[in-house]
Amino acid sequence: MAAILEKRDLRDFDWLTAFIAVSIVCFGVWQIYNAQPDMNYWSKQILGLGIALVAFLVVAFSDYRRIIDAAPIFYGFGLFLLLLVLVPGLGVKVNGQTAWLRLPVIGQFQPSEFVKIPMILMLAKYFGAKKGGNLTLKEFLIGVAILAAPVGLIMLEPDAGQAMTYFPILAVVLFLSGIKVRYVVITILAGLILVPAAFWVGVQTGKIKKYQLERINVILDPENADPRGYGYHTVQSMITVGKGGLTGIKGDTETSQAKLKFLPEPQTDFIFAVTAENTGFIGCISLLLAYALLLSRLVAGARDSNDRAGMLVIMAIVGGMSFQIFMNVGMVLGFLPVIGVPLPLMSAGLSAVLATFIAIGFAVSIKMRRFVN
Amino acid sequence: MKLNDYSQNLGIRIGTIHVLAFIFLTILGVRLYYLQVMRGSYYSERAENQRIRLIPIPAPRGAIFDRNGKILVDSRSTYNVTLSNEPIKKINVNDRIEDYARGLNLEPQFVVERLNFIKKQPEFETMVLKENATIQDIAWVESHTLEYPELRIELQPQRIYPLGTILAHVLGYVGEISPKQLESEEYRAKGFRPGDIIGKGGLEQYYDEFLRGRPGYRKVIVDSRGRVQDEIEVVPPQAGQDLTTTIDLDLQNAAEEQLAKSVTKRGTIISTDPNNGEILAMASLPSFDPNIFVQSSTKPEGRRQIAAYWQDESRPLYNRAIQGRYPPGSTWKIPESVGALQQGVITVKDSNVACGGGITIGNKFTRCMGSHGSPPLSYAITKSCDGYYYRLALKMKIEGLIEMIEMFDYDKQTGVDLPNEKVSQTPKSWKPIIEKREGKWSDIRTVYASIGQDTVVVTPISMLRAISSIGVKGKMYVPHFLKEFKSIGSIGDPNDSSFIPERLGFGFQHPEPKIIPMTAEQEEVMVKGMWGVVNGGGTAGSIRIPGFEIAGKTGTAQNSSLNSGGAKDHAWFVSFAPAYKPEIAVIALIENSGFGGSHAAPAVKGVYEAYLAKRNGGVLPVVEETAKK
Repeated sequence: MAAILEKRDLRDFDWLTAFIAVSIVCFGVWQIYNAQPDMNYWSKQILGLGIALVAFLVVAFSDYRRIIDAAPIFYGFGLFLLLLVLVPGLGVKVNGQTAWLRLPVIGQFQPSEFVKIPMILMLAKYFGAKKGGNLTLKEFLIGVAILAAPVGLIMLEPDAGQAMTYFPILAVVLFLSGIKVRYVVITILAGLILVPAAFWVGVQTGKIKKYQLERINVILDPENADPRGYGYHTVQSMITVGKGGLTGIKGDTETSQAKLKFLPEPQTDFIFAVTAENTGFIGCISLLLAYALLLSRLVAGARDSNDRAGMLVIMAIVGGMSFQIFMNVGMVLGFLPVIGVPLPLMSAGLSAVLATFIAIGFAVSIKMRRFVN
Repeated sequence: MKLNDYSQNLGIRIGTIHVLAFIFLTILGVRLYYLQVMRGSYYSERAENQRIRLIPIPAPRGAIFDRNGKILVDSRSTYNVTLSNEPIKKINVNDRIEDYARGLNLEPQFVVERLNFIKKQPEFETMVLKENATIQDIAWVESHTLEYPELRIELQPQRIYPLGTILAHVLGYVGEISPKQLESEEYRAKGFRPGDIIGKGGLEQYYDEFLRGRPGYRKVIVDSRGRVQDEIEVVPPQAGQDLTTTIDLDLQNAAEEQLAKSVTKRGTIISTDPNNGEILAMASLPSFDPNIFVQSSTKPEGRRQIAAYWQDESRPLYNRAIQGRYPPGSTWKIPESVGALQQGVITVKDSNVACGGGITIGNKFTRCMGSHGSPPLSYAITKSCDGYYYRLALKMKIEGLIEMIEMFDYDKQTGVDLPNEKVSQTPKSWKPIIEKREGKWSDIRTVYASIGQDTVVVTPISMLRAISSIGVKGKMYVPHFLKEFKSIGSIGDPNDSSFIPERLGFGFQHPEPKIIPMTAEQEEVMVKGMWGVVNGGGTAGSIRIPGFEIAGKTGTAQNSSLNSGGAKDHAWFVSFAPAYKPEIAVIALIENSGFGGSHAAPAVKGVYEAYLAKRNGGVLPVVEETAKK
């Protein structure tokens, strides 16, 4: 690798983006420790960061254009992994979801975290070749098809949370590929009308199950929801966040909500609540600012990108990450329903950290090659 | 921007996504501000409330001793399985019934009762599911903390009554406060909670406030399933105050033994010190074992035994000494004589009243047991001449008898320091009822009342209190068991809110004795008559103890009118000794045994012998009779 590392590479390498991403993971490691001081999640996360950094550098110093050229191979391999998950004996069932794959040597990982990347590459390859003009119906349908294959397989696991994170990626790509603004407006308006209508119909016809309804009701009215029923997690999460106050509980981890197990999965889906409890409003706002800075760096990279494909890759990553942050923190803060979406770079989990760093690696690689032709 | 594709407004579109991402983050920031800064203290408090619990540490009750420091009631450490309602509020408890019943060896019906009760209590209450948990029970609970976080093991000092059935009515027992008591204002005001142990019956109930300790507590942090994670603060409990009673265990044992030896094994013996009212012994048979109430009330066999006690027709739970009301028979003649002397119906110098072998009222002849001529008072007492008293009472009239009843407090409780003392029933209480029912109070009722029959039923304690005053210049002391409550030290720092102040020791607050204003001559003639009963060829001559002069009176009370025809008479003997300088008074009542002189008097003698054996260090008294006749 040293051979291909040239002085120019080091000069153009996006140090700041890498630094922000690594800082957020380190901050996350501290919070994982706060959440589960007696478990080894935090040390595993450090190991994960190490592996992720290696992968990040490899991707960053590779020529993204060649990788995008090979996108169909990666995409096909990704779908193959999602199929493997569904093979009894290979897939590992956790909390009723078969989202994990156990392979010899590599160990256990979650393909649905990774397959986003080949899907992004696939979309970038197809839409990057587009020369301009408005989006055609054919292009739209191909985009939907590229999305539908992995999402369909993920829904079979079933992992609705992960599946949801795929949609904003396609949305961003379509938006940046010249979809007419009026279609965007119509879609948004239709969503505003159809979602509540569908909810109402679902309740009336009993298609929405009682626990699902309760999860939604608790958001609408957390104080009067059954605090021990399905609203329990939402209520406990809000208590945990609120308890943090302005500056956090300052190290009194012995009585923390996570330690006393009032908070479910504190090291993964509810890591933001742990952060809120321990570091307060100041810590949380700092974290959100770090995300904002990271996203801004990526957007800046997209603007500087040499080609359409590179821009699409970066913006798809930005769209996916923003959506995931909003879904996760919104759930923790009690205004979005409880759906298992990890918080990028913060939640414990090797697959998620690795996938995120690979994605950022692409962004860095694209930025690094902005002068190359 | 290198991608100059203005037809798609790419720069604006990228900017739109960028701004959208920022809007998302801003929404999160605003929500955070609301939850953490605006409502932070509210959520802190909610978090605090859901994790801090106070677990009470029960306080041991004070022990109870006899007058010589012998232990009568003690406490020992046992373990309870307690049920906390917090984790079970939202579950279907029917799933638990089977598990608890099997795991803890309880009756399913009992588990259902407990679960129903605890569900109704406010949150964070606990109650006992099983007392006296065995090692197996504890192991079962500990190994099922994950499935049943609502169960906990708690240390519980338990009452133990080493004497068993002996003195049981006096001591009483303890038990869990009943749901009914919990609802009453009296108990609510004192801050009782479900599962609190309180005295039920006897001294345990009467002095509950002092015997009961003040519980301490552990302030702990619990996790989301109610399991204790850490301890923040411990405030130790303050034990209850130790009670030294006036009971003399040796005399008590003697009294119990005498009752057990009696023909019907039903009756009561009471012994007091006539000089101050201290009760030395109080036995009532049949009796019960208080340990069953304390240890087995949650076990099937214990509950059966308790139910059997309640249903038993011989009424073992009832203290005959203070709750039994019996026609006094001839023992009634003692207060009656004092009344007649006080009212001037007879005088010491002129106390002769005709016997006549009986009396005819209307066309009905009521006979005397013998023919005594026209005896003086002391002779009438010694021989228990009924004819004398028929005429004496007719001279006093029913109003005179009622005056006497009031003088000797037969219309009141004696004030003994036990709960549920009954009041005697006398012509005073019956007269208005009879007059209403029959139009007038007829002479025949006065005649019957003169020998303690018909409208007279008295409690043994009231009889002993009245008669034991005869030898001590008419001083009627309040009978009592309390000799002393020991003090107990304070707990904690006086500046802390959890401080429990010291509780001071105290003795019995003697009310002024009621005084029967007898002259020395009146007293002498009364004592002489009673002395004669035992020592002068009277109705209880068989129990004479040389060198220890007993003054007493027998009574043989018909009770056929009370229930079925053929029941034998109740045998009474009431006495004090030595006759001219009383140290001890003893009364015995043996139900349905027959003649007082042959059944009650020997039982009293047995108590005196125990007293003498003790007073003289086991040596029998020197034969030295007082020449006073």
